[in-house]
Amino acid sequence: MQQAIPYSKGAAWVRRSNDGRRPPVEPAAMAARCVASSGDIRRVVEENPVVVVGRRGCCMVHVVRRLLLGQGVNPTVCEVGEDADEAALIGELHPEMAAEGGDGGAHLRGQGMVLPAVFIGGRLVGGLDRLMAVHISGELVPILKQAGALWL
Amino acid sequence: MLQGPAGAFHVISSPNSMSSASAQFATSRRMGIYEPNHQISMWGDSFKADSSQNTGASTIVEADAKHDNRLGDIPRESSGPSKKYDQEAHKPADKVLRRLAQNREAARKSRLRKKAYVQQLESSRLKLSQLEQELERARQQGVYVGGHLGDSTLGLSGTVNSGVAAFEMEYGHWVEEQNRQTCELRTALQAHVSDIELRMLVESGMSHYDNLFRIKAIAAKSDVFYLMSGMWKTSAERFFLWIGGFRPSELLKVLSPQLDPLTEQQVVAVCNLQQSSQQAEDALSQGMDKLQQTLAETLTSDPLGASGVANYMGQMANAMGKLEALVSFVNQADHLRQQTLQQMYKILTTRQAARGLLALGDYFQRLRALSSLWAARPREPA
Repeated sequence: MQQAIPYSKGAAWVRRSNDGRRPPVEPAAMAARCVASSGDIRRVVEENPVVVVGRRGCCMVHVVRRLLLGQGVNPTVCEVGEDADEAALIGELHPEMAAEGGDGGAHLRGQGMVLPAVFIGGRLVGGLDRLMAVHISGELVPILKQAGALWL
Repeated sequence: MLQGPAGAFHVISSPNSMSSASAQFATSRRMGIYEPNHQISMWGDSFKADSSQNTGASTIVEADAKHDNRLGDIPRESSGPSKKYDQEAHKPADKVLRRLAQNREAARKSRLRKKAYVQQLESSRLKLSQLEQELERARQQGVYVGGHLGDSTLGLSGTVNSGVAAFEMEYGHWVEEQNRQTCELRTALQAHVSDIELRMLVESGMSHYDNLFRIKAIAAKSDVFYLMSGMWKTSAERFFLWIGGFRPSELLKVLSPQLDPLTEQQVVAVCNLQQSSQQAEDALSQGMDKLQQTLAETLTSDPLGASGVANYMGQMANAMGKLEALVSFVNQADHLRQQTLQQMYKILTTRQAARGLLALGDYFQRLRALSSLWAARPREPA
């Protein structure tokens, strides 16, 4: 499949390449790590500035990824099994991961974590809904910069 | 009987000219025959409530007038409104407001009567389609169906059908209300009402869009393919369809020139919003492409059927799971539309927001009118 970067962001993506820890890679070749437990996820979230946790084969993970790539970040994708229990995941991750903003946290604590979930700078931002809202309101780029995921 | 420029709205063989005035209210969109009069006369009602006309909408006003005359609908004085308009410009604002209130009341009563009739018609239609479904399924099974078999036999198709019919009904009401609000905004802006009153209108407008997204979410659970087909919209609107609705970035491009004058800060904010929306749309579109790809792969992994029936069933179950994702896509697209609207609301002043909502409502009205005109256009005999 044509992995086309949205035309409007072509130049910008090249300029703000990545966090420098890994060599620039084609998005298609970016290895998605397969994780077995939430302990693994916690480690990945702590070690990487931008992490997307999602079910294997979920197309929404793809949407989240494209959106973040369009901003100039290359997220680490953590796949969980298709039968993975969301409630168990939030139980493990919630005490450590403070939600970005009060209302996002309340939503997640009440209903369990929605997948795919986005973590920026080790903190849970939320699901695709939340990511969209944050992106449209113009808050996404500052959050990414603050987490060191974006330069300039 | 036809009035107005010869041939402009001449309909050769339309069911409308044969039917009585009341039958024109039946919606027949789903049967593929677009019913122009439902939209035009509906719009016409709202138009009559608004005696001071926006000259920008004059072409549509003319078209509407001709339709009304042709169908022998509520009689209107052709010279009345334009005379009133000249006088109104010199009258004090409170007399204007009182007359407008009277017009609104009369129009409101007319709308209520029409609403009751339409609801009656639509619930009959609902019942009829449910019975047809039942009959068809029983016929396929070779069973003679006598009488009403009860809720259990309506099954999946019955539920789906009623979900769709319910949505069509609610959407019809939604469009009527939007037309009414659009006229109210137009009147208010021309009468230069206070910001406080404008703010109330703007907030009604915003929550009205929230209502649309709410009913769409319910319909998506019922029949996402129906929603994505856009058959619930008029033909010209369908031309712009993207994941079950409009593209927010396109709407912004169309509407932002009408919001001038904007401060430099606002111009930048609107531009950024357009770009953000475009990026989000691209991400969703690419997600949809991926879904298509995975679905196709799921269905074609064993063309020779060598792996047996169980595998076939497994494939189908897998594919069914993939299709569920479509509901999420429609929901996310609507969420994006809602977020974009709300962000515009934050960027603009109350007055600008009122003009924006008016421009939006007017644009949709014109698209619907265009669809009607297109459906009614004279065609070469075969």
